[in-house]
Amino acid sequence: MLKRLFGLITLLLSTSVMSHPVIYKGGTVVSSFNMSSYSDNQLLYSFSSRWATGLNHWRFTKDQQNTEIGLARLNYLLWRRNTEDSQANIYLLSGAGMMDSEIDKKSTAVAFMSGFEADWETRTLYTALKHYQFNSPATSDLTMTQARIGFSPFESDFENLQSWFMLQAMYMPEIEKKIILTPMLRFFYKNVLWEFGSSTRGEWMLNLMVHY
Amino acid sequence: MKYATILVMTSLLSIQAYAAEINVKVSGMVCSMCAQGIQKKFSNEKSVEKIKVNLDNKLVQILTKDGQNISDEKIKELISEAGYNVAEIERK
Repeated sequence: MLKRLFGLITLLLSTSVMSHPVIYKGGTVVSSFNMSSYSDNQLLYSFSSRWATGLNHWRFTKDQQNTEIGLARLNYLLWRRNTEDSQANIYLLSGAGMMDSEIDKKSTAVAFMSGFEADWETRTLYTALKHYQFNSPATSDLTMTQARIGFSPFESDFENLQSWFMLQAMYMPEIEKKIILTPMLRFFYKNVLWEFGSSTRGEWMLNLMVHY
Repeated sequence: MKYATILVMTSLLSIQAYAAEINVKVSGMVCSMCAQGIQKKFSNEKSVEKIKVNLDNKLVQILTKDGQNISDEKIKELISEAGYNVAEIERK
């Protein structure tokens, strides 16, 4: 039943995105980030320029066994610095819901998430660091740390297609002992962003995100 | 005196009938996808006819509807809700 619910949430979110954890007041973000060992699907609504809430589904896969997590999210913009040519942000992330684990220990239980996200960007440079910590009293804890760096070869204007070269490093010690490096291409046009790449161990990555 | 009063009133009414053109310099506006929020916020304002975002100049150009205006405070509020800061407001 829980798996069906997770599947339904994933299906509902499959047309969406991932971006800043909090966007403009009244804005909605839908995102779907997919790798064979990890997926992250979000539907977030920013009810102010500092707070956002929504639903999130994650999947961690190890040796063809999945741990799936479905949480209600609450994100907070802790700090923002706008300069003429850059923007920097620090967000606090939290969530509560259920975890259905097949990895290490089979169990379905209440789960909580805490984390943070920080980014700094100009029109041609991008850096970001994100960390999720999943805890559940009945199952093994999970963590995911993701760092990204990117550059755009040219400054596109508001109405034009933007292109970026990115490098992503992901560390999920409970799934894979080594850091997974993924070079990728990022594009965005108006309110739609898409990214794709292949990791150094041959794992595909696809991310799709929409703001509206 | 009567003609002078009519002249002043006509002038005041004609000023009010024009649309206002406002240039807003914005800090932190580096991502076009994120700046979509600015366009959305101002497009929802009844007094705004047209909104143009220029990332090169970090400029938001607002054209109001005829006879309508938007205050500096409202502009700052909408830009702030979109996640940015107003550096300067220039009215033409």
